[in-house]
Amino acid sequence: MIGAADRANRTAIGFALPLALLALWQALGTTSQSARMPIPTHVAAAAFELVRSGDLPLAIAQSLSRVFVGFAVAALIGIPLGLAMGAFRSFERNIDPLIESFRPIAAIAILPLAILWLGTGTSAAVTIVAYAAFFPIVINTVAGAKGVNPTLLRAATTMGISRLRVIRTVIVPAALPAIGVGLRIGMGVAWTAIVAAELAVGAKAGGGGSGGIGQMMFVFYAYSVELNRIIVCMIAVGLVALALDRLIRFVLRVSMPWTSK
Amino acid sequence: MAKGAPAAFAGFRRPDAQVRALASRRARAASQVLVYMRTMAVFLIVWALIARITGNAILLPSPLAVFTAIVGLAQDLELFLHAGISFARMVASLVVGSLLAIPLGLAMGRSELLDRVVDPTIEILRPISGIAWIPLALFIFGIGNALPIFIMTYAGFFPILLGTIAGVRSVDRRLIDAARTMGIPERTIVTRVVMPAALPSLMVALRLGVAASWTAVVAAELIGAPSGLGYAVEWYRELLMTPQVMAFIAMIGLLGYVCDLGVRALARALTPWAAA
Amino acid sequence: MKSAIETEAMQQRANDKPAQHAHAPTEPAKLCLAHVGKRFGTGATPTIAVDDFTLDIAQGEFLVIVGPSGCGKTTVLNILAGLDRPSEGSVALDGCEITRPGPARGVMFQDYALFPWQTVRGNIGFGLRHGTPGDGLSDEARAQRVRDCIDLVGLNGAEDKYPHQLSGGMRQRVALARLLANEPEVLLMDEPLAALDAQTRLILQDELLRIWGQDRPQASRRTVVFITHAIDEAVFLADRVAVMTTRPGRLKALIDVALPRPRNDATRASAQFQALCQDIWGLIRDEAYRATVTSTSEEGGSKR
Repeated sequence: MIGAADRANRTAIGFALPLALLALWQALGTTSQSARMPIPTHVAAAAFELVRSGDLPLAIAQSLSRVFVGFAVAALIGIPLGLAMGAFRSFERNIDPLIESFRPIAAIAILPLAILWLGTGTSAAVTIVAYAAFFPIVINTVAGAKGVNPTLLRAATTMGISRLRVIRTVIVPAALPAIGVGLRIGMGVAWTAIVAAELAVGAKAGGGGSGGIGQMMFVFYAYSVELNRIIVCMIAVGLVALALDRLIRFVLRVSMPWTSK
Repeated sequence: MAKGAPAAFAGFRRPDAQVRALASRRARAASQVLVYMRTMAVFLIVWALIARITGNAILLPSPLAVFTAIVGLAQDLELFLHAGISFARMVASLVVGSLLAIPLGLAMGRSELLDRVVDPTIEILRPISGIAWIPLALFIFGIGNALPIFIMTYAGFFPILLGTIAGVRSVDRRLIDAARTMGIPERTIVTRVVMPAALPSLMVALRLGVAASWTAVVAAELIGAPSGLGYAVEWYRELLMTPQVMAFIAMIGLLGYVCDLGVRALARALTPWAAA
Repeated sequence: MKSAIETEAMQQRANDKPAQHAHAPTEPAKLCLAHVGKRFGTGATPTIAVDDFTLDIAQGEFLVIVGPSGCGKTTVLNILAGLDRPSEGSVALDGCEITRPGPARGVMFQDYALFPWQTVRGNIGFGLRHGTPGDGLSDEARAQRVRDCIDLVGLNGAEDKYPHQLSGGMRQRVALARLLANEPEVLLMDEPLAALDAQTRLILQDELLRIWGQDRPQASRRTVVFITHAIDEAVFLADRVAVMTTRPGRLKALIDVALPRPRNDATRASAQFQALCQDIWGLIRDEAYRATVTSTSEEGGSKR
């Protein structure tokens, strides 16, 4: 009984600040001189309009498809590479300098090169997403594979299990939680990267390019100066980010029921 | 990566053992450098071969061309000018971000009530990446210095805040208990026990903040600034001068790495008791 | 729920003089635990960590509480320290009820709880610098006391080292020195030697008795309440041993340890020592066995 009332209390307190800020924003907006200033009510109206016309869902779908493809590419390359690096020290020592050298170079910095090589289309965007997601995935996979208790490995080899078999039966399961962390971070980074890439492409391709929510945001900025619509897009970006995180957490939980997270 | 001190030894080491340990560390560092150079050499050779095969200097310039570009840009200081501008922006945004995030994080970590009030707002704003703010920020600030700094501050704010909260929460309860049994008043416990104990986590949070800010700098400058490394990359791309593009990209990577090293060194200086 | 009559009877007992035990102390008790009980968790089945625990500890006495894992020994110590309040019963120092932690009842924790950002010297002097033990003392007096403590526990040469640079045995000395620097009346120690290897432990048991002053008269010694699960350690150190049962933790027996002081390796070899150890083991054995086969967790509800 105490628990339920306490929980209701918590939710109420949680909404207090956002609602207060929203009210403040509304007040400032309606009393402001500037005609362009976005107001919560207008933003809500714009959101309704964009959803109804199908523009927003389409843009989100376009962005999401690129994210999923890029993410899959990053995982398909990153996980086996990470496992190999974790299992064979000499391999890791040789490859690691390359990874560590490129890691500080954000995906968005590679975008101009990608545009140069692949044009302003989907392939460039997918490449950026894959590049962005690759690093968290591979780094966490390596950490997971290396983090396997060496005593476990020794126990396995004293049982006469071959090196490759040990990788499959001991290292992979033990590294799965860390791989999961890498996938979660990678998904978050991938989504940020696609928004950035589409935004940049939109800015450079002068409103051309092939859609997606980032590009839509830029169009609203550059061509129609529809601030309300920009804010709708921002909120959509946030909501999709949350949804993706929940999705991947769900998938991980279902496929790895023995982990607590 | 430093290993923890072996627990078996008493705190006193014989001098020659210390010398031997130092020598072996140096040897290991030296071999790591050699491996690094070997890998990068292989990488450069493969790159040169592919460049020779494709034969298109705009698409894939040879490593030599890029190197020449780097030297050229360094000689007329353009490389350093843009690097300095980006770096200065990042420092500014980190200072602002830390001044906002650290006190708030300390307060939220200590007070359950404050956390419950503020956290939902944080969680609503956090998924909206700094980059998504660029169009709106462009409208508010226009192209210039303020835009990248705003975006970078926003990007760095969340990792620093969340890391600070986690650090305060994870302070070993026994340390606070020990202080209480010594008759130390609550306020002194906050300043003399909780804050020093949370400092290592704060350093980790700062590292993440630096990384987030540096990632945001490129995106922000690419779109909305008249100077800086991101701007330079895009400028030279439009001129189809790929060697220069790559030169600046390399500089972005190098500077990012150096900043991370800087924060790690700061962490080692401020918190020598924490494992590196 | 207790009836009104039961509650009244409890009040009466709490107000009475404490019951006489095997070795009745001649002076009034330094520390009094009267029908102390501690419950954790709300709802239908709370965990009862400690139940109806009554014990008097004399001034200058070295009392050891021994029992199987999870029997509530640490809870009793926390209550004595003032870090926890009892759900039932009362606990008092020199007749004054204990309500919060303070330097009069210094604590040595299981994992030392040394401040990692302070040197040895900084740790030992921490209470003197920031807490009440240092009140009225000049800086020079404080520094002198820190130096004295360092001498006493044998840490000369390590004053400027950080905890992470010290071995387990040295950290334990620092924790002890920090405790002593605040000049507590009572020393509460929660399995301080548990993290050390067997050989270091034997050495430090000797050291502990020396530092405590085992060859001084009882009136001039500090009172110690020491927790351990090692029976030989308990018998070696104690004037009396309090044996606790598994959860819920109750006082099973109070054993007098009439071994002469000063105690040393010869004591450990004596027949009387062995016999006492066997007696106590006999009392605990069943409890210890049960602890290994039931899957109870330390916190949260009991799963029996």
